[in-house]
Amino acid sequence: MSIRDRLNVIFLYALFAWLSLVVINGIVAFMLTPGAWLKTFDFWDGFFNPTYFPSLFFRTGISLMLAGFFGMLTAVFLPQGAFRKRLMRYCVKWIYYPAPLIALSAIWYYRAIPGDARFANFVLNNQSHLPIVVFMATSILICATGALFLIRVPARLQKYAVAVIILAGLGWMGSFEYLREYARKPFVIKDFMYSTSIAAADVEKINREGLLKLARWTPVRQAQGADRMKAGRELFNIQCLACHTIRGVKNDIVEKTKHLTYRGVISHLYGQGKALTYMPPFVGTVEEREALAAFIAGELNGKSLETAPARFTPKQTPVEIPPFDPKKDNYVLLAWNDIGLHCLSDAYDRFMFLPPANTLQALLIRRGDPPEMVADGVEIRYKVEKGFENPSRHVRFWEFAPGYYGRGIDPNVGIAGKGMSGVFDFDKKDSVFVAEAIPAAPYRDNGEYNPYPLFHLEAIDKKTGKILQKTSVVAPVSTEIGCRNCHEGGWRWNNVSGLAGETADNILRVHDRINHTQLLKSANAGKPVMCQQCHADPAVASKGKPGYNNFSAAIHGWHANYMHEEGSKACALCHPSAPFGNTVCDRGVHVTFGIGCTDCHGSMDEHAAALLKGQPGARTSAGLLKNLKTAAVGGADKIVPRSPWVQEPDCLNCHVDYKKPAAGFASFNKWGKDANGLYRNRTDEAGAVRCIACHNSMHANYPAQNIFGASRDNIQPLQYQKIPRPIAAGGNCQVCHTARMEDPLHHPEMIRKVGK
Amino acid sequence: MDANLLIPAPDVLPAPPWLLIALEQLLFLLHIIVINALLGGGLILLYNRLFHPRSEAHAALDQPIARKLPTLFALGINLGVAPLLFMQVTFGNLFYASSVLMAVYWIMIIPVLILAYYGAYIHQKKMESPGWAGWLPLMVSIAFVVYVGFIQVSNNALMEQPERWVSYFQNRGGTILNWSDATLYPRFLHFAAASLALGGLFYATVFTLRKTDQHRAEGVKYGLRILGIGTALQMGVGFWYLLALPEPFILKFMGQDGLRTAVLMLGILAGIGAAVYAFMGKYRAALIHVLATMALMAALRYLLRMDFLADNFTALSAAFPASGYGSSSPLPTRPRRPF
Repeated sequence: MSIRDRLNVIFLYALFAWLSLVVINGIVAFMLTPGAWLKTFDFWDGFFNPTYFPSLFFRTGISLMLAGFFGMLTAVFLPQGAFRKRLMRYCVKWIYYPAPLIALSAIWYYRAIPGDARFANFVLNNQSHLPIVVFMATSILICATGALFLIRVPARLQKYAVAVIILAGLGWMGSFEYLREYARKPFVIKDFMYSTSIAAADVEKINREGLLKLARWTPVRQAQGADRMKAGRELFNIQCLACHTIRGVKNDIVEKTKHLTYRGVISHLYGQGKALTYMPPFVGTVEEREALAAFIAGELNGKSLETAPARFTPKQTPVEIPPFDPKKDNYVLLAWNDIGLHCLSDAYDRFMFLPPANTLQALLIRRGDPPEMVADGVEIRYKVEKGFENPSRHVRFWEFAPGYYGRGIDPNVGIAGKGMSGVFDFDKKDSVFVAEAIPAAPYRDNGEYNPYPLFHLEAIDKKTGKILQKTSVVAPVSTEIGCRNCHEGGWRWNNVSGLAGETADNILRVHDRINHTQLLKSANAGKPVMCQQCHADPAVASKGKPGYNNFSAAIHGWHANYMHEEGSKACALCHPSAPFGNTVCDRGVHVTFGIGCTDCHGSMDEHAAALLKGQPGARTSAGLLKNLKTAAVGGADKIVPRSPWVQEPDCLNCHVDYKKPAAGFASFNKWGKDANGLYRNRTDEAGAVRCIACHNSMHANYPAQNIFGASRDNIQPLQYQKIPRPIAAGGNCQVCHTARMEDPLHHPEMIRKVGK
Repeated sequence: MDANLLIPAPDVLPAPPWLLIALEQLLFLLHIIVINALLGGGLILLYNRLFHPRSEAHAALDQPIARKLPTLFALGINLGVAPLLFMQVTFGNLFYASSVLMAVYWIMIIPVLILAYYGAYIHQKKMESPGWAGWLPLMVSIAFVVYVGFIQVSNNALMEQPERWVSYFQNRGGTILNWSDATLYPRFLHFAAASLALGGLFYATVFTLRKTDQHRAEGVKYGLRILGIGTALQMGVGFWYLLALPEPFILKFMGQDGLRTAVLMLGILAGIGAAVYAFMGKYRAALIHVLATMALMAALRYLLRMDFLADNFTALSAAFPASGYGSSSPLPTRPRRPF
């Protein structure tokens, strides 16, 4: 064959090879960005889609560069000499000639991929991180090795250098293709068909009628009854097997779900594809979701399929009501906890978000006409009931306090210096006695769990040492934190309560995986991290890091995407409010009237939405918000943003003018302006007494119920007026006033009969 | 279980179905001619290596053939890709399902084909070696090509019989081969025996084109003789295949359906012509008759596929009126919703 013919053939060969790129590129690019085809279903719209041309130019550039590589491979095996040298230099240049084309088209290509897909697959999806690193590293390696050739590579090293370039080139190409495939997730054809081969348009119908009913390749047609496990397996085959193996090499489902309980797997399926958008949503009915979860958690991971928690039987522990003689006693001592209940995240060796820090407040009133607040010349002492004096025996907070606070804290002393017994400080600004951050824990030395340890208070005349009045109050403190409901690990303390190390580790694992942190490693190295170090939280006066969700928004915003439970049931999965749990923290008068968490705080989704909206600077807020169910309040736009802990629902939202609420009341979405609007900081209309002093802490308003004993949360009303209603209820002004009172001075409606 | 429910919904075609089917059939015809020539040529060479290892006459004749085998291989694979792609367009929903059912064997085609390709190259270089290198690579290569052919035939057969798909529920391992299908064996042999004939034709063609070769006349004659024998064998296998078909299909080909009967009869006549001219040593006439036979048989293969699938398409068009199925035109051209 003549050289001319040979060149003609080669030209045709190159031309047709490139034309096959022209065709196949249309198909591959279509899958990533179908563009207008999604609306028109027009062949040409699909073919010449948004990434068609950038991809065509990019791949053309790559082809030219690869031609250089393989030219070098040929040249390096030629005999030494001028020709080989010339050919080598010529081929090396082909790494650089197409470089501007590759670089510009790469930028164009990247920008033509929709932003949501880029975020989901290049940022959120960990599986793309290694290929990104490989892509960057090989880019540098190729340029650097090529540059060496342009300068000079000793002849005996040239073969190795060419091998490096070829391998780097293949790695570069491979990582690019890998990333291009990943950019499409969770779709096969973006926005049209999921990786599970389920068309996006069919999702609603399948959710309604059931996947097993509509699927073709399954002999099982229903997810309930005897076939439940089989149905789970079929659902796994249809929806998971495309990406997940069962104990296989890649994406092993057993490994990926072993840290979740059955409920955890259900939740994962519910939330799948919402926040972490690289996975397709689970498609099917509720029963199918549970059948699949049963298969994954039960059959594959051997976990219990029980979701109802064990019923806790509280030990009834009667309290002694301190005496009060309305004829002789001159003082009334009122005391309360500032927030109704404090929780401890007691896996302190793993991480911390709640230190032991229970704040008690108190008022001393000298009875008379008029009564008088006493601030000077008196001292209020407190002492915890027997068996609770040594929280350091039960929780490891003090061991790790130096890491969390940068200073050592003496055992059984709180972060503000208060111990398990001591003296209240007087807060002049707020005119209230405070014992801040007492490190109370619900664990008694005798192995008993009681989240309502009693504190005995005495008001003493400093001069004479005479006891002016005594009373008792609970420091409500619970470790019934429900993480374990989904994050496998059980209870920490005597199989009763507490955040177990295993549960905590499983939480850290998830956090590390999703947020690219190294919290588990840090904890294992003895340096556990406080969550609020990054996530702002007014509850612990943390400013967090800019751009991060605040702690409440992070926790609620994330989990609302995963929790399918409705109403107060959702709250009780994490907070200690479960009806048969070990705390039942919601124990105030509202419970008596059937008013639950969501009546004031909104549903989990609404509550989370308000928190997410309250921090517009946070990077992931919008992504977490977009799938929340807010239709009941008219959509996310209608949700009023709020800051956690400082903006809460106001009592007067429902109790308009202090009256009994009208029918159809709701307090969600009506937040106080700031901390001054909080119930615990508000005073009566006379500006004299705090609401909380007479009505008790939120969630424990008089008359309160307490599963550890009927009187435990009602000690002061029982002490001063023999009935568990708010102080001075029913016109009993004589608790403080020695003269007969005509007007409802503190607030309207205060002289009102029960039920009116 | 109603097997029709297992058939995935077909995809929308961006062009008229007849065009895509015509292209599929035409490209398949080209592909099968080359592959038959490759396999047949290989078989002839192997026979000579094994049974006439010391015959210089055979070696001299075989060498030009051996040199062409890798080229034929490349051409065959290239010509195979196009009809395979058209098949995935036209019968993708059926073909995808049957491919998954025999996934293990099906995916093995790729490495096996690569090895077979290497075998042909090694044989080309080592054919004159006196030891095993003279025949083993060729034998392995041929065995692999036979494997690929058998799996292709099995896959097509399975694709055409969705009622056999229900065995998936007993075997989900991707290893379903329909051994119990009585038509599978003659169907495969029909392709294999054709190889011998086409191998002979290829042999004759190579020497016809080697105008200055001193062995030219000898080579052409040798090739044509094998063509004649292969065609005669092929007739026998063809009848076996015909008789192994379900009775209603046989009747269609035996007079009940004019088109089918005509194509079959013309095919048989062309085949007889090919054999006769081959034995007479008339290359050009034999060539024309072989090509005519191949074209008619490919058409017959398509008609048979339609017969196999007719009931399924009828049932589907009733079950999914919106899907675009129809017994006459199984392929939808208008957009559909998946359910």
